[in-house]
Amino acid sequence: MERPDGGWEALMARAQAGDARAYDALLRQVLPFLRAVCRRRLGSSTEVEEAVQDALLTIHRLRHTYDPARPLQPWLATIADRRAVDRLRRSGRRARHETVLEPLSETLAAPAANGWDHASEEQLAAKQLRDAVSGLPSSQRRALALTKLQGLSLAEASARSGLSVGALKVATHRALQTLRTRLGGGKSSR
Amino acid sequence: MSRRTEEVLADLVADLRPVQRLAAPGWRAAGWLATAAAIVGAAVAWHGLRPDIGARLALPYEVGQWLASVATGVLAAVAAFLVALPDRSPRWALLPLPALAVWLASLGWGCFADLARMGPQALALGTSWSCLRFIIGVGLPLLGSMLWVLRHAASIRPVPVALLAGLAAAPLCSAGLSLFHHLDAALMILLWHGGAIALVTGLGGAVGRTVYTR
Repeated sequence: MERPDGGWEALMARAQAGDARAYDALLRQVLPFLRAVCRRRLGSSTEVEEAVQDALLTIHRLRHTYDPARPLQPWLATIADRRAVDRLRRSGRRARHETVLEPLSETLAAPAANGWDHASEEQLAAKQLRDAVSGLPSSQRRALALTKLQGLSLAEASARSGLSVGALKVATHRALQTLRTRLGGGKSSR
Repeated sequence: MSRRTEEVLADLVADLRPVQRLAAPGWRAAGWLATAAAIVGAAVAWHGLRPDIGARLALPYEVGQWLASVATGVLAAVAAFLVALPDRSPRWALLPLPALAVWLASLGWGCFADLARMGPQALALGTSWSCLRFIIGVGLPLLGSMLWVLRHAASIRPVPVALLAGLAAAPLCSAGLSLFHHLDAALMILLWHGGAIALVTGLGGAVGRTVYTR
């Protein structure tokens, strides 16, 4: 990792004073370090990148808590590690709420006898789901994405979307009801 | 770099404003402790010191016990201001534990001493809602004030900081309470002061886990 004269500490001190060029240089230089910290907790590169983005937001919000007399690396490491742990918890929460879909239409042992293979069946199901989701009003789609796909808590989703917790609950509930009706032929069973 | 990371980075740079650095954690803790001492002191002054305060202050055992409760609050406050910073070790959270252990041990020892002195009467449990009311009534606003000044910790170590905030606020209230409404039986102090401190600290932890997070 390239360290400029005066180090990251000097760049951060200038960023605290409002120097945008120093801030830009600092954030670009610390990215590999943030990624390395997040990679220790997370496997998928997408999740690592999302945790790094969260870490950048936290760095921005907490930049006034940094004391330039102390090394910057431990300060960055704690922030990146916390955001990676958050991602890990969210993916754990998501995994608990998701179920692997079984091919219900399969009636014969040989895949060819069922008319299409699993891949095309999954593609069809995915397309139906995508169509149903894209037909939802945008507020419901956003609520669904934050609470069910990203696995955020209601408080987190509320902070991110600007919607109240109550409004999020209602929008998520309505979105799920609509999807059940569209995908399950009007049945509201799970 | 992914396109989204590039966008986030550009947004943050565009949003950059000069910021006022936080003062050193020791100074910030001292400031909060001075405010807490003023509030608890005013509450004590309003109630008036207990009539036998002079005699009590002549008993080294009781003075030691009182100092241990003050030390628990002071050390928990210092620890909270340190743990709230990303570059300080989370092990600072252990700082108030020795003082807390001394305070609890002295109360435990007091229970045995009372038993030897007073017999089974020392184990009689009474109610002291006023103790609970004072520690919670003054402790919760102090807890809230510390959570507010340490709100930056919410995205780093919300639960340890909130627990330490409770452990800072409640023992200081307990120490103040002892100056005007001291319970004589150690078991009663353990039950009502210790119970109220556990309650305020537990509430701090619950706040840390829910609303204080991020």
